[in-house]
Amino acid sequence: MNDQAPVIDVRDVVKTFDKGLTRALDGVTLSIDKGEFVSITGPSGCGKSTLLHAIAALEKPDSGEIYINGEEITSKRDLSRYRARTIGLVFQLHNLLPNLSASENVQVPMYEISISPRERRKRADELLGLVSLQGKEKKRPTQLSGGERQRVAVARALSNGPPIILADEPTGNLDSKASLQVIELLKNIQREQGVTLVLVTHNASIAEAADRAVHMLDGRIESKAED
Amino acid sequence: MLWPLLRCQKARKYLKGTSVSFVLFILSNLMRQKIRTGLTVLGISIGITAVVALGIFVHSAKVATEGLIQAGGSDFIIGRDGSADLTLSTVTEDEIAAVSAYEEVEYVTGALIAIFGVGSSPFFLQFGIEPEALDFFEVEILEGTRLSPGATDEMLLGNSSSVGADLGDTIEIRDLEFTVVGIYDTGASMLDGGAILPLAAVQEYERKPNIVTIAFVRTRPGTDIESLKARIEDDYPNLAAAATLDEVGDIDQGTQILDAVELGISAIAIFIGGIAVMNTMVMAVFERTREFGILRALGWRTRRIIQMVIGESLLLCLIAAAAGSLLAIGLTQLVILFPAVSSFIEIEYTLNVFLRGLIVGVSVGLLGAIYPAYRAARLSPAQAIRYE
Repeated sequence: MNDQAPVIDVRDVVKTFDKGLTRALDGVTLSIDKGEFVSITGPSGCGKSTLLHAIAALEKPDSGEIYINGEEITSKRDLSRYRARTIGLVFQLHNLLPNLSASENVQVPMYEISISPRERRKRADELLGLVSLQGKEKKRPTQLSGGERQRVAVARALSNGPPIILADEPTGNLDSKASLQVIELLKNIQREQGVTLVLVTHNASIAEAADRAVHMLDGRIESKAED
Repeated sequence: MLWPLLRCQKARKYLKGTSVSFVLFILSNLMRQKIRTGLTVLGISIGITAVVALGIFVHSAKVATEGLIQAGGSDFIIGRDGSADLTLSTVTEDEIAAVSAYEEVEYVTGALIAIFGVGSSPFFLQFGIEPEALDFFEVEILEGTRLSPGATDEMLLGNSSSVGADLGDTIEIRDLEFTVVGIYDTGASMLDGGAILPLAAVQEYERKPNIVTIAFVRTRPGTDIESLKARIEDDYPNLAAAATLDEVGDIDQGTQILDAVELGISAIAIFIGGIAVMNTMVMAVFERTREFGILRALGWRTRRIIQMVIGESLLLCLIAAAAGSLLAIGLTQLVILFPAVSSFIEIEYTLNVFLRGLIVGVSVGLLGAIYPAYRAARLSPAQAIRYE
């Protein structure tokens, strides 16, 4: 651990569903430093994805606080700017828009920042190069393999240069070879660009690739293992 | 047309980040459901066709009426105030004499208008006028001569008449025979599609002795025409003086009825079209709930989501407006082939009519997008992502 303030600081966060009957997060506290790669593991329904959604400001906690770069986000009303500039999200299903090409999909988050269409295209093509998809800029998602689609999703997550990448089971729908490629890609980006990477996974071997593995059970953090 | 809008600070702020590629993105969203989009466009474009085609006909009919008012180089016409239709107006010879007594009036001539089927023309306009009045009432004779003074069996034929006769031919009207002595052109489509006959003959077969439909008034140079018209209307409250199409409504309430019908059809088109668009857009929003969640998760503001939904709706309706306008042009060109229509009006296309179609299209687009945009904007990103 370093001495700097954590880039993600989750403090005693509680989140319930079904009018309080389901306690998805039960007082979760977690700090993640800048540039760290943290994996979150645990059985289905333990609250991994809910925690990731809370950090991404997609879910509002019932109580507790979340600080990102020292700024409290749970009480903010409009979090679009935060999501557009600070967070890069990778989902289990690639969630690419089927009517757009790979390049256009990567450009989607860039609509929220002030850059010209030409700059948008240039940056998208560079990012597709970064994820080894040169020459596939104009391909539609249906024309790409599962692993390629997920790499487009990774490029899309990087489109606005976010300091934090949150990946929710990014290899859940991929075969082992494609999974390995995506994880290697995310690790390289984390290492080379210094971004903070939080990855939710079921897969123990993928979790082991992280700097630190966090295990969750019944909405609580069970252990925080240093790699 | 859009430039003043784009110069507006508020509009620029709202459109910030909007680009050609965003418009293409919106278009590609519409193309995802080609059949649904196509059917919606077809439905709206039929409504817009009705609005535009009716607008074209109403405008063309007004132009034809305006041409009749201004025929013969007169300054204004006199008719019976409150007449349901111009052809139902009645002005007596005493009233014509009273109007001609005003010192500013250079000449007044009455004309009795009758319309019924003659020969191959189902609606043949007969314009009865004193043959001597043609010295003042300016009619360009293309072939032949004018009506002879005191003639009762001669007629002049308009150059666009569809009655199927030529110079020297005889035409039978109500058991009376008339010889075509001249072919004329006034530039007024309604008049050029019919014939000019001696007033006495028309009064006889129409059984309207001493009565005309309207009177044409020409004033002396330097006359304040508006003031004269006002004085005539004050002195003779049963008469109305009209120099423009707006004023002819007092004599011909048919134009006002046409305006009301046009407005009514536009309102119905907006209402029905709005529901059709709302149905399409609500379905699109429901189907793409997860996608909206993804876009929100990627940082899209609610404003951009609203822009996208309204943009899709507007684009749908703009395509329909363009298709509807083209259909209306085709339809009017088809209808004008019928002699019954072509003998009365000359189709005239004006920007205003197409703008009205565009306004209907934009109104339908906005009306239909309100609820779907509201629904899309209110989606919780996390719930939308979980939506199956």
